[in-house]
Amino acid sequence: MTRKTSARLTARARSTVAAGLLAAACVAWSASPLADGGTGSPLALIVGISCGALAVTRLAVGDRVTDAGVFETRVDRIWRLLLEVLQAGPWAGGLVIAALALEALHPSRPWHTGLLAVALIAFLFAVHLVESGARPAALRPQLPVLAAGLGLLVLCCGAALLPAAGTGPASGLLRVFAAVAAVAAGALALPV
Amino acid sequence: MTTAMTIGHSETRTAVVTPGQPHQVELSWGPTRHARRLLTLALAGLTIAVLTRRAEFAATAAPALLLLAAWRQDRPRRILVSATLTARRMIEGEYAAVQVTVSGYGALAVELRIDPASAITPGPPGSAAPSGPSDDGPADDGPDRDAQPSLPFLATRWGRRQVGVLEITLRDRWRISEGRAAVPLPWIDCYPQPARQRSRVVLSRLPSRLGEHAARVPGEGSEFAGVRGFIPGDRQRRINWPATTRRGSLQLNTFAAERVQNVVVLADGTADVGSPGSTTSDLVHRGAAGTVRAYLAARDRVGFIAYRSQVSWITPGTGQRQFLRVMDAMLAEPGSWDERSGIRRLPRAALPPGALIIVFSPLLDNRLVGTLRDLRGRGFTLLIVDVLNADPGGGKDRFAELARRIWRMEQDAIRFSLRELGIPVVHWDGEQSLDEPLAPYTRRVMVSRR
Repeated sequence: MTRKTSARLTARARSTVAAGLLAAACVAWSASPLADGGTGSPLALIVGISCGALAVTRLAVGDRVTDAGVFETRVDRIWRLLLEVLQAGPWAGGLVIAALALEALHPSRPWHTGLLAVALIAFLFAVHLVESGARPAALRPQLPVLAAGLGLLVLCCGAALLPAAGTGPASGLLRVFAAVAAVAAGALALPV
Repeated sequence: MTTAMTIGHSETRTAVVTPGQPHQVELSWGPTRHARRLLTLALAGLTIAVLTRRAEFAATAAPALLLLAAWRQDRPRRILVSATLTARRMIEGEYAAVQVTVSGYGALAVELRIDPASAITPGPPGSAAPSGPSDDGPADDGPDRDAQPSLPFLATRWGRRQVGVLEITLRDRWRISEGRAAVPLPWIDCYPQPARQRSRVVLSRLPSRLGEHAARVPGEGSEFAGVRGFIPGDRQRRINWPATTRRGSLQLNTFAAERVQNVVVLADGTADVGSPGSTTSDLVHRGAAGTVRAYLAARDRVGFIAYRSQVSWITPGTGQRQFLRVMDAMLAEPGSWDERSGIRRLPRAALPPGALIIVFSPLLDNRLVGTLRDLRGRGFTLLIVDVLNADPGGGKDRFAELARRIWRMEQDAIRFSLRELGIPVVHWDGEQSLDEPLAPYTRRVMVSRR
């Protein structure tokens, strides 16, 4: 094995470990404290842990393709089918949905949700780096956009921390639409 | 080459590419897996925000939505692709490569990957040249340039087959969108790996054609045969002076004539049993290729008979070109099975008189056994290399074992009957050199009996 290949494998292993740690952090952060969660918390937690484990396993396995040989045994066929299911499933997306659902089952805590969003974005980029085989330096052109997005995130969380402007039932919905409008305006105004 | 993505054939548009000629290939664009995951995060955050009326969940969508806003529309719809094989003919176990030229992709990153066909393995990663912009920094926005990487592949089994499909993936610099195209690669002729053989079986009677084997008759060769008395008209330079001094009369050196040998190699492809990679068909063709190469190296005239569902043959010839003709005949698809096409009597055109016939066969086809008996009856000298290395499968009970014993006895009886007719049968396991089973017949000339 050449030094270059060895370095690539080491970098891939490092990114996989980072993605695994971030996945664990996302699930643990959104689930804590477990006692405050709603009735669906245990189910969402199980889904989150399963999706996280499968996503990391999928990254470790990679895109290895096993040919269906003519003389394939039953064990080989089952193994190949399992591998195909593992590679085809949107496990990282499942973890994102499960973590957000877990967070939503807890009482409102905007700063907590903001940190979870940062961790989820970091997890998605770690997965992307492992899949593409690119180095973290490849994300440099996206840094201004990421910074703008994180700034919007902080603004929205800060707005959510402010006391409600109105007392009617629509005040919560209005705050949501205001946040969405701010995000949409930021996206449209972005000079890409 | 990276193997980050497998492209389903149904999702992509294909175009047949003539080797070496650039062709326009249409791309189908879509979001990358990374973009789909970002979209999942954004939609989940917005949905939860609306359902729970909590603005902080809308905030989770902000970074993802801003990144997805970078989806640009200035993407090429078509690119120019040409694919050339470094070798159209190869031997199983050898590496070859596909030289790919891609142009018209602008500042996008190109990823090439071979989706291999059966018995083709992509080469070791890293052996191919990198393509497209580096991942270390931003992509070049400079002029369009050609990517000319080389994608190695390994043919693991002989045969005429397609290399596979070349999958081309174009990505923007943020890897948000990707364009895909699939291009079928050309066919290759993968010859069987010739078995090792250095020694050769030589017949006692050789046709009167100039060659390299020392015959029993005197002639103009270089191998010393004996001494005889001088006859007026003999060449003086051949006088053996020590013998002349001893006997008191002029003595002359005589030399053996050098003759060519006609060899016909018969490859029995009627059965294909055994473990994958070393089936009887594999051993038959590897052994036949090794023998053809060994005799052609000795400048003998070598013919070939492919004995399959239909019989085809190549008349004896010499040289490298004959070797390639024989190899091509091995790869030729046999015609469909037809009981009437099965002939027991091989035609005279395929069998020069006095030829040595070397048969590679598992001797499982009774039709072939009958043909061999007929050849022996016609006075040909035969040598059978038995390549049967497998027993019938089945259960492990008493009756299955009994059936296997009966089958083995039948096989032994077939071989015994052939030996009784004067046809030597040697066994070759496919691992060792062919010199070992043929050793009893290569140490001295093989007497051809009528």
